[in-house]
Amino acid sequence: MKAKFSVIGKPVIRQDGIEKVTGQAKYADDYNFNGMLYGVMFRLPTAHAKIKKVDYSEIEKHNKDITICDVRDIPGDNYIGPIRKDQPIFCDKKIVTPGDVIAMLVGKSEETLRDALNHIKANYEELPVLNDPLKALQKTAPLVHPQFKNNLIVHYPLRKGNIKKGFEKCDHIIEQTYKTPFIEHAYIEPECVIAIPLEGEKGVKILGSIQNPFTTRKIVAAVLGWPLAKVQVEQAELGGSFGGKDDTMNILSARAAVAALKTSKPVKIKYQREESILESYKRHPYVMKYKVGFMNDGKLEAMKIDIVADGGAYASMSPFVTWRTVVQATGPYVIPNVWTDVKAVYTNNPYTGAMRGFGSPQPIFAQESIMDEIASHLGMTPDKIRKINGLKQNSKTSSGQKLTNHDVNLIKVLDTAVTKSSFKRKWAINNKHIDSSNLGYSKANKRPKKAEDLLLKQKDFIPRNEMIKKGIGLALSYRGCSLGAEGIDAAAAYMSVQQDGSVYLLSGLAENGQGLRTTFSIIASEVFGIKPEQVFYLDLNTKNVADSGPTVASRSTLMGGGAVKNAGEIIRKRLEKTLVTHWGIKSNSELLFEKSHVYLKRNKRRRISFSELCSLAYSKGENLSTVGWYKGPNVHWEEKTGQGTAYFTYVYGCQIAEVTVNTASGEVYIDQIWAVHDPGKIINSLGAKGQVYGGVTQGAGYGLWEEIDTKQGFIRELNYDQYLIPTSKDIGKIHSIFIEGDDSYGAWGAKSLGEPTLELTAAAIANAVANATGKRFHSLPLNLEEVVLNRKLRPEDLARGSAK
Amino acid sequence: MIPELEIYKPNNIDEALALLNELNSDVKIIAGGTDVVPGMQQGSARFKNFSSLMDVGNIPDLQRIELCDDKICIGAGVKFSDLNRNKLIRKYFPLLAEAAGKVGSKQIRNLATVGGNFVNNAPCADSVPPLLVYDAKLRIRSSNSERLIDLEEFLIKPYKTQLKPDELVAEIIIPLVDDNYRGEFYKLGRRRAVSISRITLAVLLKSADNTITNLRVASGAVSPIGKRIYKVEKYAKGKTITEELLKELSTMLGREILGETGLRWSSPYKLPVVQQMFYQLLLDLSPNGKVRQI
Repeated sequence: MKAKFSVIGKPVIRQDGIEKVTGQAKYADDYNFNGMLYGVMFRLPTAHAKIKKVDYSEIEKHNKDITICDVRDIPGDNYIGPIRKDQPIFCDKKIVTPGDVIAMLVGKSEETLRDALNHIKANYEELPVLNDPLKALQKTAPLVHPQFKNNLIVHYPLRKGNIKKGFEKCDHIIEQTYKTPFIEHAYIEPECVIAIPLEGEKGVKILGSIQNPFTTRKIVAAVLGWPLAKVQVEQAELGGSFGGKDDTMNILSARAAVAALKTSKPVKIKYQREESILESYKRHPYVMKYKVGFMNDGKLEAMKIDIVADGGAYASMSPFVTWRTVVQATGPYVIPNVWTDVKAVYTNNPYTGAMRGFGSPQPIFAQESIMDEIASHLGMTPDKIRKINGLKQNSKTSSGQKLTNHDVNLIKVLDTAVTKSSFKRKWAINNKHIDSSNLGYSKANKRPKKAEDLLLKQKDFIPRNEMIKKGIGLALSYRGCSLGAEGIDAAAAYMSVQQDGSVYLLSGLAENGQGLRTTFSIIASEVFGIKPEQVFYLDLNTKNVADSGPTVASRSTLMGGGAVKNAGEIIRKRLEKTLVTHWGIKSNSELLFEKSHVYLKRNKRRRISFSELCSLAYSKGENLSTVGWYKGPNVHWEEKTGQGTAYFTYVYGCQIAEVTVNTASGEVYIDQIWAVHDPGKIINSLGAKGQVYGGVTQGAGYGLWEEIDTKQGFIRELNYDQYLIPTSKDIGKIHSIFIEGDDSYGAWGAKSLGEPTLELTAAAIANAVANATGKRFHSLPLNLEEVVLNRKLRPEDLARGSAK
Repeated sequence: MIPELEIYKPNNIDEALALLNELNSDVKIIAGGTDVVPGMQQGSARFKNFSSLMDVGNIPDLQRIELCDDKICIGAGVKFSDLNRNKLIRKYFPLLAEAAGKVGSKQIRNLATVGGNFVNNAPCADSVPPLLVYDAKLRIRSSNSERLIDLEEFLIKPYKTQLKPDELVAEIIIPLVDDNYRGEFYKLGRRRAVSISRITLAVLLKSADNTITNLRVASGAVSPIGKRIYKVEKYAKGKTITEELLKELSTMLGREILGETGLRWSSPYKLPVVQQMFYQLLLDLSPNGKVRQI
């Protein structure tokens, strides 16, 4: 381990910053090719139907230059999916959700193609629609995918200790049900992809806004029935993803590829916002029943959790998302007796999949809310109940994993956040000011029987000094790094040092806006003691580097960073060997790589510039290129009991939100948020702060605004007039504070930060609003109606005001 | 998708009126485009059935804000950013300046015009309640006529006004208010920017010896279109200001709004809130309240 770093941990401006803010960066839709055609989708205006006949004869007769692509054009697999192959590229038998596509029309003008959609005649039989996930497993429920015999996608149990005996010995038991909504990733750039047929037998190239090029390649190859190597996937600059440009982009890429091969022309598919929100997957809504038993002294003894996740129309990532949930559902607490069931089910709603957080923001909202409820039940402060039960060094998690190989900094992040925010003092003052006799409009909380009930009587008005309240709330979390027992966990980095000391670098993980190019360049520059600007990060194309798995699970810095460091060290050893020979010094002489030079450690006047050394090595025929590799240690999981070493290491975070609440209108303003995280070693402090600001803001959106509401499977919020994400005016100061715990994994112990920053913000806000109002909230988001009425209000129809 | 359209850019009002006379319903007037463009994008019925657009957003005559005797004349094409920072408006019609500053976002305010706001006549048009309490009139022109009409009369129902296909709103004319009024504009949205109003209220209150001599109140977003609430205004006149009275007026306002809208999905939230917030505004505007001088 290196004690002093030259670049690591310092603020470095991201490599692609200038090109992005000046508009030079090329996104998928910025690419155009000669003879390029467009593809537009044909859908049915229903959520669940049997397709009987699709008649294209009008188009075939009148629009000869339109090419129709549907299931008949698929040479390989039409059904795809990461676990269950249940999702069609083109629907042939059924449609199971409104986003489903039966056919794609391909031609020169999108406008003409959209007109032509009206000339397709589809004959279909409507089927009963299933929207309520809690009804999905009932015998009478319509089957979304009849071939699986029921609507269960996956069920994960976790059993620890003896739940019955655990509850029997408890002094107190509380039970609560929590709900979270569908939410949308809200990437700025909607989906766009181009498939380009290559000459002769070279195959096809896919260029697009793609989060996981290797997954896209796998899907496209399967759909075409081709070897993987015949499909090249190149990533265009990505305008946001947050986990959202995976399945949808794979499917669009496959459709574009099929059309490109059929027409022998490049085919572009680009979505407008409405279509993007309609077809792309969302975050899973959860219904979470928690029952917790605890002692008078605050110690948790037993926890029973029953979670149902709405998987929507396709299995997609549900088996992975809900697996993280089952691992982390009890929160970062030591509980001897645990009984958890997490189920994901099919419905005819939009399908759900990966989104930043990935199965953790939902249970964190539940678990951190109930921890506060326990504290208030016992008359304790929220920090104290967490300190009593929080994971410490060598503690065992709910899956029986002993936390030994890294600094378990849970209590440290908690203490830091509590101190920095003056939590205890503020919480106590606010708590004292709660006037339980005046919690908004008491009457309106009930459903009004008649309109007259909504008119306020003299005593119903809130006195002027009691309208505005302050609140402060905290949330605590731990998070398993990378994929865990989800799958194979390894990554590659290709590195080539030039004779002048400049460096080419490329990893198999993708730049999705998180700043990976800069992070990896910093790691390489630290190994060689050169400036990050000397490292030139290459564009990602699957033909140029090894499959490194998906860019998900906050694993880039940990896994890719490890691979880059490994590549750097391989080349550095070769350079050292060259220099040892050149200087004629002992082979075990220690050399320092610093300030673009290489020094002999015991005599620093003996030095050579890095560039000269590279030139020397080059002239001696030394190989200055390599592929670095990093593989995580093996992890283990018992499916039946939910016990095992789920992840090989963990990170810890605590966030505290301070809010102002207008108890009359339900408006919540976030005054300040303290975000204290232990992500391991920080590589780029500027990038790390960026992750915190973005993650907290996105988490605040989950807490206060964001919600996709569906009616019969149809989405109301198809654009940002209806789907509200926070603006810069909606959130006050964000304080980002890092505790850098030691870890043996990754590059110098650099672990994960992207998702940890987002997962606990909503929970902290909900606890803060409770501290302000004295009311508990069990359903996200805490929008105006929820804060005032403790329930959601929804319009009867889906029409947008401005569209009337 | 937006179809191909012809776009006319008249240089002055007369050219614009001539075009309107010629093309009539075939042309849609566009100023900032912040309603028209999204409406067309969404395929809204109100933005179909025309083959050309006439952009009046940059006609100089529509951009003026002038003091003429005891009135202020505001060109219908004045953008919200300009309305918000104009000294005359800030001095004489602070509620209008404030409402202008709360429309959408900076980018939207730099494009959207005050005329476009009420010609579109969405329930949530932020400029309407302040213009109503200030008794705004409109000067409406066509190539062969001109008329003056009260804004209140001009607004018929949601998304519907008195404007004929060959007419253009040229000016908004507001009589100066005597300076004993105190007033507030209140906007409640779901967030602090780029927010469609859930509730708006414009209130002007004049009092002497703790007695209400004049009250003007208009609502937006809680009523189908922006409306003056005359019943409350009349009842308040001559009454001594007490907390009981202010609560009574607030409940009365709630009753009036309920009468306008009937019970809607949003009523269990909006109705209590509008009463409470009106009460709060009245408290603020009362002699002992938070003073805000016009």
